Amino acid sequence: MLDDFISGKKSLFTDGAHMELRAQENRSRRILLSQGNLTANSRSEISGVSARVYKNGVYGFSSMAECSSPAAETVLKAAAENALFMDRHIQKGKGAFPAIPAGQIPVKKAISDTEQKRYLAFCKELDAYIEGTYPKLSSRSVMMTADSMEKILCTSDGYDGHITSPRAHIYFTLNTETEAGEPVELYTPVGGFGNFEDNFSDPALLYPEIDKLYEELMHKREGVHADAGYKTVVLGGFLSGMIAHEAVGHTVEADLVLSGSVAGPNLGKRVGSELVNLVDFAHTAFGKPAPLPVFLDDEGTPAEDAVLIKDGILTGYLNSRESAQHFGMKPLGNARAWSFSDEPLIRMRNTTVLPGKDKLEDIIASVDDGYYLTNTNNGQADLTGEFMFGITMGYEIKKGKLARPILDTTVSGVAFEMLKTVDMVSDEVIWTGSGVCGKKQPMTVGMGGPALRCKIMIGGR
Amino acid sequence: MEDIKSAGGRVNDALKKHGVDKAGFLVTETETHEFNVEGGEFSLFRTLFDNGLNLTVYHQNKKGSVTTNKLDDASINAAVEGALVSAEAGIADEAYDIAPGQGKQCFHDKGYEPDMERLFERTRELMEDIEKRHPKIIVDQLTVSHKKIHSLYLNTNGTECEVYKGNYSISLSFAGHEGEVTTSLCGTGVMTDNLDTPFVELGTMEELLRDAEAQLVTTPLEGKFEGVIVLTPDSLGSFLYNIIVNFAGDSAILEKTSLWIHKLNEKVADDRLTISIKPSDPRVVDRDHITADGFLEEDYDLIKDGVLKSFMLSLYVANKTGFEREKNSSLSVVIEGGTTPYEELLKGIKKGLIVGRFSGGRPGSSGDFSGVAKNSFLIEDGKITGAVSETMISGNLAEMLMNVVDISKETVVDGGGVLPYIAFDKILISGK
Repeated sequence: MLDDFISGKKSLFTDGAHMELRAQENRSRRILLSQGNLTANSRSEISGVSARVYKNGVYGFSSMAECSSPAAETVLKAAAENALFMDRHIQKGKGAFPAIPAGQIPVKKAISDTEQKRYLAFCKELDAYIEGTYPKLSSRSVMMTADSMEKILCTSDGYDGHITSPRAHIYFTLNTETEAGEPVELYTPVGGFGNFEDNFSDPALLYPEIDKLYEELMHKREGVHADAGYKTVVLGGFLSGMIAHEAVGHTVEADLVLSGSVAGPNLGKRVGSELVNLVDFAHTAFGKPAPLPVFLDDEGTPAEDAVLIKDGILTGYLNSRESAQHFGMKPLGNARAWSFSDEPLIRMRNTTVLPGKDKLEDIIASVDDGYYLTNTNNGQADLTGEFMFGITMGYEIKKGKLARPILDTTVSGVAFEMLKTVDMVSDEVIWTGSGVCGKKQPMTVGMGGPALRCKIMIGGR
Repeated sequence: MEDIKSAGGRVNDALKKHGVDKAGFLVTETETHEFNVEGGEFSLFRTLFDNGLNLTVYHQNKKGSVTTNKLDDASINAAVEGALVSAEAGIADEAYDIAPGQGKQCFHDKGYEPDMERLFERTRELMEDIEKRHPKIIVDQLTVSHKKIHSLYLNTNGTECEVYKGNYSISLSFAGHEGEVTTSLCGTGVMTDNLDTPFVELGTMEELLRDAEAQLVTTPLEGKFEGVIVLTPDSLGSFLYNIIVNFAGDSAILEKTSLWIHKLNEKVADDRLTISIKPSDPRVVDRDHITADGFLEEDYDLIKDGVLKSFMLSLYVANKTGFEREKNSSLSVVIEGGTTPYEELLKGIKKGLIVGRFSGGRPGSSGDFSGVAKNSFLIEDGKITGAVSETMISGNLAEMLMNVVDISKETVVDGGGVLPYIAFDKILISGK
């Protein structure tokens, strides 16, 4: 864990400026067994200190790859000089942020390390199980990633804290071929928040996940191309999580609202059916820890839940302290930085559509001709709310019953139009915390949702 | 900050002390200066000082890697010990190796030292140019930076490669905006080693800004048809990346999922298509000089006149599979222009789409792709008839290379590579 070499530096903060001083370490451990070959066996530790100064409407930032008292003093001085450079050239003349009461967030979860040989032995056992149980696969890979973020934050006004965020995942990728010899691939992640040992104790406990993945792959190899067009679909929980994150979450990030996103003119207006409720949870959801709990952001704002859509009405944005001041909203702890050398950006935390009252089987039974889509591998969204998700697993629905599986495809739509077509919502939320969101910097995020019946564009043949 | 030559020496000492068989490592010292514009306003000035050590050791035919950004004695010792412990835990494989000695080299690239006042003025000029020439554009984010990297690659076969490298990078995302109408987000990135040219004149910046204003009025496409797509240099890059990963990269060859695995020296694309990887091309600013395996970089052709000439393999996968390794590990893709002017190329298309950006699912090993055609325009009877929304395109990466309609005479240089406009036939284009 990091030593605190920055708390004593508050006396060096510039008068009348909002200041942040942050020491941070990002660790990453990675194993990749590709066809049993060890193609990645690596450890990474990146740490340093950074300072950010906000004065008169502009920021100065500086960082150094050292965790030392002199480095902290150097970046404070350089960040103040950079803010001065900007103020001299730009002269925005904006006032200070509304004050946030002081406080302290202590360490909630200690970061522990695991020896590389333990990671490797675990992965080798999983790989041997796949090779031994399913010899007819055309290829297989097992990838383990354990990453963590640890930050000590001191602010001129707001909370200070020592915050940690470890997570560990194992990804299985299986490949086979169709009758015609075309490659078919399917992957799944397992794991979540916490250290490796919190998530994984015995490789045998993961065999059922591998068996399920193999079974789905065997279905998929019999798959057909989807019929391209505007269809009724049932989006599984992973997909509605993507809707929450990509299609809505990004458009309500206040920096994108200022860039002209569709959420700007729609605040307070209907953007979904009355069944649609959407929240960016900080650290606790439905009485349990959220997939990636956030207690404090990197501007010193204690994290609270952000209600974004209530009964189909757009009710809020995700803010930094600067954007919250601009929109007259309360900042709720969404400004987060990836590395010590990164400035905080407006980011989601654990974004989900809230569950409804329908049972998944009833939703599927209600569709005469459509698709049930269960897995995705990526997604993108736009200022307009137009989104796209890659679909890696799904089934046709014919007369209320699941029919043939489909091959890889893509779905797309416009968020605030598509959400108005939601007419059934299942009663169970499926979460994932394996995601990395890209927006100038990467960031770990959680997302989730129930199954939704809606209309959407599907690609195919 | 640490001196990287001293750090390199201390890494070598630690490797000897620990009796490591073989190792290769890169020590870097980086200084970055960056201006940020958000929502159309200057917001942030950053100055970053960083170090790096990327070390891979090979011990008893086992391999382990460590990355750290600390170059003090304790951190270097910890990195060497960590890499060695990881290697000892690993799997022995005779295919792990590093390049034979490449001698002692030193490269000084242009643009090493920044001119920050001029960089700020060029940035402000770009903002003024956008406001003056394209009043319907909102700048979402503009990041303008100069990165200075002093690096030293060393390995136990005696290679020593020192590089002084620096360049300016301009990354712009923006949208057209009028009343309550906003276009799709557009974006482009350019690298340059000098500040002689106004930024708006670099790469496709001016063209994209003009197109974004034209996309304020879009029409959803009705129905579906098989037609021609014209990939602009900005969207062509993302298709090429997926082609490389799916058909030519390490995993695809090692796991034998590549559709091209048995097609070396066979036709995989239209005869007019040559795809070269050329870090030494004078138009490429962001060049590397040594591969991760320790070979001095050379240019090579991935596809020459439609024939697959190479995969893009690390030394390990090359040793493992018997194929030749890649001659460089950069992604400096160069496709030279054809003979048809872009305007003439469009005139020859009966029905199709100019695709400015592709937002699609990551294609699987089959090469099938589908996704949304963003920032795109409909072509009918050789004329651009308007911008489209909610339009998807589907096809297969391998098949589309065989279905080239034409390659534009014009090319776009963005500092990372050189690409023309290319038209591909037999793509499914579908709307609502």
